[in-house]
Amino acid sequence: MNKMFAVIKREYLQAVRRKMFMFMTVFFPVLMSALFILPGLLISKGLGDKKVAVVDGTGGLRSAFVHHLAPEAPDPKKALGGGRRAELPQSLDVEYADAHGQSSLDAAAKPYLDRLNVDKSSDRRLDAVLLIPANAFEGSDAKMTFYSRSSTDLFSQERLGSIANRAIQRQRLTARGIDPTIVDTLTREVPVSSVQLSKSGEQKKGSEANFIIGFIFAALLIIPSFIYGLETMRGIVQEKSERIVEVLVSSMSPRELLTGKILGVAGVGLTQVGVWLIAIAAAGTFGAASAMAAGFNVTQFLRPMVFVYFALFFILGYLTFVCVYAIAGAACNTDREAQQLVAPIQMVMMLPWFVMFAIITNPDSTFAVVLSLMPVYGPMTMFVRTLVSEPPVWHVVVSIAVSIVTIFAFFYVTAKIFRVGILSYGKRPTIPELWRWMKVA
Amino acid sequence: MSVVLSVRDVVKTFGAVRAVDGVSFTVRRGTITGLLGRNGAGKTTTIRMITGVFFPDAGTIEWLGSERDARDRIGYLPEERGLYRQMKVKEHLLFLAEIKGCRGAAVAQSAESWLKRFELWDKRDAKVETLSKGNQQKVQLIGTLLHDPDLIILDEPQSGLDPVNMLLVRNLLRELKDEGRTILLSTHMMAEAERMADEIILVHKGKVVLSGAIDMVRNSFGKNTLHIDYEGDGSFLEQLPEVKRAMIVNNAAELSLNEGADPQRVLEATVGRLRVRKFEIASPSLEEIFIEQVGAETMEAIR
Repeated sequence: MNKMFAVIKREYLQAVRRKMFMFMTVFFPVLMSALFILPGLLISKGLGDKKVAVVDGTGGLRSAFVHHLAPEAPDPKKALGGGRRAELPQSLDVEYADAHGQSSLDAAAKPYLDRLNVDKSSDRRLDAVLLIPANAFEGSDAKMTFYSRSSTDLFSQERLGSIANRAIQRQRLTARGIDPTIVDTLTREVPVSSVQLSKSGEQKKGSEANFIIGFIFAALLIIPSFIYGLETMRGIVQEKSERIVEVLVSSMSPRELLTGKILGVAGVGLTQVGVWLIAIAAAGTFGAASAMAAGFNVTQFLRPMVFVYFALFFILGYLTFVCVYAIAGAACNTDREAQQLVAPIQMVMMLPWFVMFAIITNPDSTFAVVLSLMPVYGPMTMFVRTLVSEPPVWHVVVSIAVSIVTIFAFFYVTAKIFRVGILSYGKRPTIPELWRWMKVA
Repeated sequence: MSVVLSVRDVVKTFGAVRAVDGVSFTVRRGTITGLLGRNGAGKTTTIRMITGVFFPDAGTIEWLGSERDARDRIGYLPEERGLYRQMKVKEHLLFLAEIKGCRGAAVAQSAESWLKRFELWDKRDAKVETLSKGNQQKVQLIGTLLHDPDLIILDEPQSGLDPVNMLLVRNLLRELKDEGRTILLSTHMMAEAERMADEIILVHKGKVVLSGAIDMVRNSFGKNTLHIDYEGDGSFLEQLPEVKRAMIVNNAAELSLNEGADPQRVLEATVGRLRVRKFEIASPSLEEIFIEQVGAETMEAIR
């Protein structure tokens, strides 16, 4: 027992002193947040100002594009939440061209289209051109055309298209003698605000923020498992390649050694989560107020249960992964061999991450439920489900139980393979050989 | 002298290979016992069974004279040496003691005195990887001794050492022996074993071919070996009818004689052909005995 404690202590202290730990603990959450929040902000900002031209064949939509410069203060809530779709964002600088009565719209558009590809420094350069055909009001097959340098500027396209459509509809209605003010009243859009009503009656405000926070938490949950798993694997390979292991196993049983190693690494993981949770709690008290002011309902994510679940599922997922990596480490003699062995396994284990979108958007689907009750996939999927939905308690309990059983089963297998593999300095074993090792150990 | 360790009929098989095939021997307290044999003879496998790394397929390994956990009674320096490169010297030593069940102020103090003795005290807080190879070996050697083991097992302790460190290890072994410690020294270097060991166990192809106190072993082979130092061309010595086997290096010959051969006849043959500076009738060296035991077939393989 004391020997195992010596191993735990060594593993823990060595890992915590490493720069990687500092990096993971301090920078990783910041990095993750930045990684998920920034693109959202950038997309809604359209990656900076855009200069577009609207070539209007009808000649009747000037007001929609020229007078519609609604001043829009940068507002994170709207940036993330989509804002008012039918208004012209300030980041779009629209140049309106009345092409009414021109025989060919294409000819009228030509000078503008040419300006799409002028020199970058020139202020004549356009980012996009929208062509509105002359028969837009009446033609049943009328079609607007959006030209841009990048085919993926969906944001500008969607905004301009929607503004043009609204203006066209308005025009059609006023053309039939309806008072423009009545038209405005009739066509006013009613915004949708999503509210998640849980069984406990608790109301949560849903939004894209849910989505992003789901991803951030999922990343915080899964990525350290991979990183420390790899570290554990490297540690074991190193002990073998540097022949330390013989002294170790002549002093304690391989099982004691393995248990010590895994508990030491688990301690590192717990410390990491502990630091994060304390940081979030500290930042939460301070930051929640300002986040709330900005329109984020952060408190729904800072429920105490979220922390409990996070810590719990983190440890479950973490230990599962660490066991898998320990097997690879015990079976191989070089980092490279081990990497090759775990690479495909890693892909399989990453599955929830690849389908995270589906899980977050549909946390109670059969797919998500099944995944959350499965070994290996359970911890991550179930945590995300508890975050964005409110799964039945028995789902959570079963998921935890399955994970614990899985960890013990993995540990048992790992210990067996460790026992044989730790002193085998030959070539990397094949899967059938690993199976045999398991049986002889 | 009391017995510390008794190994009886131990067998270990790997696949089709019987690496250790019914090995028996005892290690007596306060002696240096040489476990000798060529590479692959089964020495390391035997040691790994003693240290508990492998379980023997058959046979028993019995520890006597103490209630301590067998693993904690051993100080083991494996042939393939290694330390955690990232750990600091003293920290590493304390870790090695701790996994042998020793901790606390006494161990720290012992570590300090060993480090000072090996002139490593200044480097106690240096990372292992910054040390020279020789110093790393010293650190590991200290790690082997720190928990005051009943039996110190050294597997090829001098491999990879420069002459200075070799001398250091040799002196250390003598000192340890003088302190009454028991050492099992595994080596394929016969001359080294001859210099250090009180008792020998000669292993070949997984079996003990010879064992006992070194003097008795040598005497049992009789005084049928000649050591001749000379000037001149001694290559004819090999051809003499009395000579069974000859090792001739740099004007020195070690001749094994045929049974019943008279050494005097060899001396007569040298007259007029060589200037003899030394002529000695002696017991065979361990190397001679080894070759005698493992046969010519093995000699061919060595060449």
